[in-house]
Amino acid sequence: MAVHRRAGVLTTHRRQVLLGLGAGAVAVGALGSAYAALGGSGLRPALSGGPTSPRDAGGFADRDASYGHALGEAADLGAAGQADSPEAAARAAAGATPTRPTPLARDPVAHLLRRASFGPTGSDHQQVESLGLSGWLDRQLAPGSIDDPVAEAVLDQLPTARMSAAQIRAELEPNSWDAMFELGQATLARQFWSRRQLFEVMVDFWSNHLHVTCPFGGAWATRTGYDRDVIRAHALGRFRDLLHASARHPAMLRYLNNDRSHRRSVNENYGRELLELHTVGVAGGYTERDVRDSAYLMTGRTVDAADEFVYDPERHWIDPVRVLGFRHPNPTRPGGLAASDEYLDYLAHHPATATRIARKLAVRFVTDHPPPGLVDRLAAAYLDHDTAVVPVLRTLFSSLEFWISVGRKTRRPLENLAATVRTLGITPGPDTPAGLAGLYWLSHRLGQAPLAWGPPDGYPDVAAAWGGAHGTLGIWNSHHALANGWSDGLSYPAPESLVGPPPATAGDYLDTLSRRLLFQPVQERHRTALLELVDAGPDTPTGEAGLDRAARHLVPVLLDSAYHALR
Amino acid sequence: MMDGSHHPRPEAALRRAAGRVTAGLADQRDAWRHGFTRRRVLAGLGGLGVASLGSQLVTTRVAFGAAQDGADPGTTLVVVFLRGGVDGLSVIVPRGNGDLAVARPRIAVPDRALLPGDDRFGLHPALAPLHPLWTAGRMAAVHAVGSPDLSRSHFQAQDCLERGAATSSVTSGWLDRVLAALGPGTTFRAVANGTALPRSLLGREEKLVLTELQRFDLAGGDQLRDRTVAALTALYTGLDHPVAGHAQVTLRALAAARELADQDYQPVADYPDGGFAGQLRELARLIKARVGLRVAAIDLGGWDMHTWIGPVDDGGMRRHLDQFAAALAAFSTDLGPALEDVTLVTMSEFGRRVAENGNAGADHGHGGVMLLLGGGLRGGRVHGGWPGLAPDVLDHGDLAGANDYRDVLVELLQRRLGIGDPAPIFPDHRPTRLGVFR
Repeated sequence: MAVHRRAGVLTTHRRQVLLGLGAGAVAVGALGSAYAALGGSGLRPALSGGPTSPRDAGGFADRDASYGHALGEAADLGAAGQADSPEAAARAAAGATPTRPTPLARDPVAHLLRRASFGPTGSDHQQVESLGLSGWLDRQLAPGSIDDPVAEAVLDQLPTARMSAAQIRAELEPNSWDAMFELGQATLARQFWSRRQLFEVMVDFWSNHLHVTCPFGGAWATRTGYDRDVIRAHALGRFRDLLHASARHPAMLRYLNNDRSHRRSVNENYGRELLELHTVGVAGGYTERDVRDSAYLMTGRTVDAADEFVYDPERHWIDPVRVLGFRHPNPTRPGGLAASDEYLDYLAHHPATATRIARKLAVRFVTDHPPPGLVDRLAAAYLDHDTAVVPVLRTLFSSLEFWISVGRKTRRPLENLAATVRTLGITPGPDTPAGLAGLYWLSHRLGQAPLAWGPPDGYPDVAAAWGGAHGTLGIWNSHHALANGWSDGLSYPAPESLVGPPPATAGDYLDTLSRRLLFQPVQERHRTALLELVDAGPDTPTGEAGLDRAARHLVPVLLDSAYHALR
Repeated sequence: MMDGSHHPRPEAALRRAAGRVTAGLADQRDAWRHGFTRRRVLAGLGGLGVASLGSQLVTTRVAFGAAQDGADPGTTLVVVFLRGGVDGLSVIVPRGNGDLAVARPRIAVPDRALLPGDDRFGLHPALAPLHPLWTAGRMAAVHAVGSPDLSRSHFQAQDCLERGAATSSVTSGWLDRVLAALGPGTTFRAVANGTALPRSLLGREEKLVLTELQRFDLAGGDQLRDRTVAALTALYTGLDHPVAGHAQVTLRALAAARELADQDYQPVADYPDGGFAGQLRELARLIKARVGLRVAAIDLGGWDMHTWIGPVDDGGMRRHLDQFAAALAAFSTDLGPALEDVTLVTMSEFGRRVAENGNAGADHGHGGVMLLLGGGLRGGRVHGGWPGLAPDVLDHGDLAGANDYRDVLVELLQRRLGIGDPAPIFPDHRPTRLGVFR
């Protein structure tokens, strides 16, 4: 974290200097990052002077850090430190006062489900209550122990979802995008209906960290396997293994052009993103020379005509390389794969990688601008456990920062959509693939189709990168459409069925519906406003208030509220 | 346009509404940026009751606080993204070019068919509806436009253009950064016509994405709209969180969009059918209503002509340019004198291969064309360097990129939108002046 903050100070300083010098100076000052652009066009020498580091070029450690910093959030959440268990941490946090108020009730069960799943459901809520916070987390951290019949049954209806690249090539027209679209549908299905929710959250996390955009023509047959054999295989394993798997996968090698990199015409795209995005980050302090050697070392990892990973020694560049603290004589072409594997190991275990992944996890699970103390503890857990992610998550869920941070995250469009599907109890129906296709396009219109972010840095994970009138209205209107079952294919509960046996008064009806959908009652003034929406007072008899009919208006507006917008 | 009374009454009312002082998201965000407490910000927002929300158009006092009805809403930038990679060599055609004739035996537009352009180029005859604008100096072109992205990939090239940078460190869209440079404005200051936010507008600044004003509305119909808006307003009033700001702006935009949508409006021109013309009609309406529209982004797809660009009178190019030209001509007519306050620019991810392929089409290439329409142009000519089409100067078989698209846009921003320093908008680019604008 010290590195981090030092970079921040330097940034500010540089900006001020450059502003004083005018446009020309800014252009020169930005060369460090401008350079990153040229990834696709081969290597270029440093433009002047010695090797420069992007860390010193002016900028934040990454995009989400930049957004988080831009909002000037206080990093103090009101409580900090580790406890021995999630329960102890939750208790300790409950005794402290958050530095920022939130409309969300400080209910540990709902809080855990808002963060560790794609949104609470009634049955999940009951399950956490019966298993306890630790018991539920233990189960979720061992997803193989959880039967997943609903999600599995949907996958059975998406023919390519379980296919290998060879099978997809055999079954589909060349360059068909069908398999990639089905992967999008499958991703939605699992976020909506898998019982391995924390696993799915981590799949989403790593999919964005080691991002290969989908659809992407170069991965038409291999993107499905990338999801299964790289991301899912290691989502709760060791980052070291995840990184190695990604570095041997045709989808990644194509996406970042390493398949075309050759000792005679080195493409530095992958070598750079390996440093900037996948491991140490800009704060790692690598230079343009490091980027070049990183790209040299990765030459030879390519893709054959059958869309399989292959190491081609003839493509490999030899001679000693040096990246940050890593040295290798790299003397032979056949030895290039082993040499680059050593390099990947080095990167996975680098302290800057630990900090970068720790910070991203804290952004995902805690707050958009996480406290450095928490990040440091997560990074230490990562390094102490040979890059294994489960100990990091256990540390996170036993931190006071996690439990005090209720309501500090805003649901991104897809998170809002998934939480809406889950809380309404929308389930697979008469034509589930068609229903999922409809929701895929809905998520696309909302700006967050699954896996579809274009650049290699993954979807932003902070609220400041989202929002706006279009997004807000789009999400509000999606609540209306989903609550009223406007699309075909899935099974949509009728809005009037959500409360069960109707309570006697309109006030009780609203309270029941709030608990059913939002897992808490709403504040009194909000209750009044919602009753006015249906032209009722708190004591109006339910039948007289016509709530069976009015539920179709009331349900979406409840979901439009901040109680559902935040997590 | 110095006095609101010259406008029809509804527009004058809107302008008065726009001039009304209020506080809003821009203030709020600005306050966060400077580390003020939210509490103070919300104290400002607290004054917005349900009733007053209905008529607010302005997100901050900064833009209109002093100006009142005589406010100059400023020049409007309209960016038309031609998706698919438009074949510039069919649109603005080098005359007497033997290389082109050899490379394109079936699809080259013959000299005799061209509309007069300048001493080097002619215009595709389908642009005839726009030719009077060309002749009058209200239209110009830049040819051999390139970007730092050399991938020939639709996605990557569009992404590079729309972010305004090739470096992955720039993730907001270039138009979002233009909005940041312009400073606060009205609810309508940035509009994208379409169902999704174009990449170019992605970022932190508020903007509206509309298909039609009539359609920027809450789902569920008229029955309970007012009550729904009232409930949502209550649910988001006094809330100490950024989502409250987004909700307030959305509600404000709903009200403003409905206010405009409710007014009887007849365009001055006959627009052709089709979504593109419809989008331009909506933009013309907003521009003429002078509600502070500064940046608009619309799309026209279908330019990925791997097959059947076709001969000059019969093919995909003819059909698409007919549609394009008819819609833009109607837009210009509809705007009338207001065209002087507009600059429309087209962008496309790349040009196409010089040599035609086996299907009377052309594959992905590099250097392309940008068209410009509106006031302030040195019009009636093709600007910028022209590398030619001789085989030895081609870039892997493609027209080389002689003019950086950012040079066109930087000049546009400086000359037409009054943005002095383009460095924050195109952070890794050092501009060269092309002289497209007066």
